[in-house]
Amino acid sequence: MSARGLVKVYEGKVKALDGVNLNVESGKVFALLGPNGAGKTTLMRILTTQIKPTSGEAYIFGFNVTRDSAKVRRLISYVPQEMSVWTDISGYENLLIYAKIYGIPPSERDKLIRDALENMGLSEFANNLVRTYSGGMIRRLECACALLTKPKILFLDEPTIGLDPSARKAVWERLMAFKKEYDATIFFNTHYMDEADLYSDEIAIINRGRMVTSGTPESLKRSVGGEIISIEVEDQSLNPKALEMIRGLSGVNDLILGENEINIVVQDAEHSLPKIIESLRANNILVRKASITKPNLDDVFLRYAGVRLEAASGRISEVRQVRSMIRRG
Amino acid sequence: MNGFMRNMLAMIELEMRRLRHDRTELYTRAIQPILWIAVFGPIMGSVRAIPTGGIPYTDYITPGALIQSTTFVSIFYGLTIVWERESGILKKLLTSPASRYSIVVGRAMASGVRAIFQALIVIPVALLIGVKFTPNIIHFILALMIIFISSGGFAATSILIASFMKTRERFMGIGQALTMPLFFTSNALYPIAIMPWIMQCIAHFNPMSYIVDAVRSLMITGDLTSLPIDLAAILAFDAVMFIIASASFKRIIE
Repeated sequence: MSARGLVKVYEGKVKALDGVNLNVESGKVFALLGPNGAGKTTLMRILTTQIKPTSGEAYIFGFNVTRDSAKVRRLISYVPQEMSVWTDISGYENLLIYAKIYGIPPSERDKLIRDALENMGLSEFANNLVRTYSGGMIRRLECACALLTKPKILFLDEPTIGLDPSARKAVWERLMAFKKEYDATIFFNTHYMDEADLYSDEIAIINRGRMVTSGTPESLKRSVGGEIISIEVEDQSLNPKALEMIRGLSGVNDLILGENEINIVVQDAEHSLPKIIESLRANNILVRKASITKPNLDDVFLRYAGVRLEAASGRISEVRQVRSMIRRG
Repeated sequence: MNGFMRNMLAMIELEMRRLRHDRTELYTRAIQPILWIAVFGPIMGSVRAIPTGGIPYTDYITPGALIQSTTFVSIFYGLTIVWERESGILKKLLTSPASRYSIVVGRAMASGVRAIFQALIVIPVALLIGVKFTPNIIHFILALMIIFISSGGFAATSILIASFMKTRERFMGIGQALTMPLFFTSNALYPIAIMPWIMQCIAHFNPMSYIVDAVRSLMITGDLTSLPIDLAAILAFDAVMFIIASASFKRIIE
């Protein structure tokens, strides 16, 4: 999947996307992070052929999302942020209607539907009205609808918004199992840092309609300024020779000396730690304690998007409200 | 075309499954037409003020009351689309292989399912009250088909309204403001010939007049001379509404 210079202007005024470039390799899990109004949903709606970009082009497996939209739609599945199942029929019936819309042959329908329900852990609730489902079950049913057609690319817009931690975990475990089985690509929008960190191979950060940065979760966190190794030593004078030696190690960026403590800023803490301890030992310095502090994605987000993610949290409860309101309706 | 029919059938099936789980709306919406037939009809009929061409007044207004209720069902069907827009269903349908046109027409025709079931509740009640239908099963089936097809046109009208009125409250308002005038400027309760001149003009452009006339000639009078004109008008109405609704459908999703 790739995009070049995507621009989307709503009603000639609001610039939701401002020249977005994107590259997602097949079979990868790709997370798009961004604050409220950054353009995440707009980008996803363009990629899923719902709306046309004002300018720029995007391709999915070589098909242009505007010109070959019918072909693109055959390869993708999409789970919108809002609730997207009919609540006044059963879970099985929801899948049945989608199976018919997608033209799955009658002979395969029942088996595929039962598989999808089984995969999402909904078999025993298949014939209950969706109205009686919990939020997590509804989300799993939506995922089941999306997986029914065995898509090459799965688009998920805030897949676990408003769910409790155990329901979030359940959704993700089942998504990852599907991805593994069918080698599918997953593209998701989220503002849960831990989710992007845990499940994605690559993260892109979007702010005000522009891609700010992208990379693996590890490389992004490192780019914030490296990781910190704190070492507490036995109560004895640290000799300058040892400090010089550590400073000279490859991957070490900086060294801050405290009382009986050294803080070392490094590129990659796991690889530097053994070398540092060796150097200290070679200079007869006894190590009492060693710890690693890594920047988290929130630090990355702050640096590139300019806000803390909590700033967007007001929106989570808002969406949760909308979802429950829609359920009642 | 294959995919088009498939989507339409899937939408119709969806509507039937919904009805299987919950039929409350059908029953509550049946109250109004039954009141027209059971109360208004006999009382107005006793006055003998309206020329009906020799048929009892209650029989005369039965098709009108029936069409009024099925039309209301279709017009308020747009609410479903507004709801599906507020939820993510419409977005998801747009990313399916179904074409936009087939989503609009499929959804619109699905409202015909509700209309038919509505008719199947009202007609037996009318029979009990003593309305004399033409004893012809082919006429009866044809009349149901006309109700089904014309519901599609009104539901498309309602999708069109939904694309402008994006909230439920606004939609309810305009739906109410549209349905009663449609009813009163048609031949549902009185022949067009006795209307004031200006209303006659409106009645000739009111699709409900043609639908009522078609169903009345099939179910009550048995006189089919105007049926071809009625059918042509209904089909033209459907086609125009399908095209306009599909074109403005973009507005709903943006």
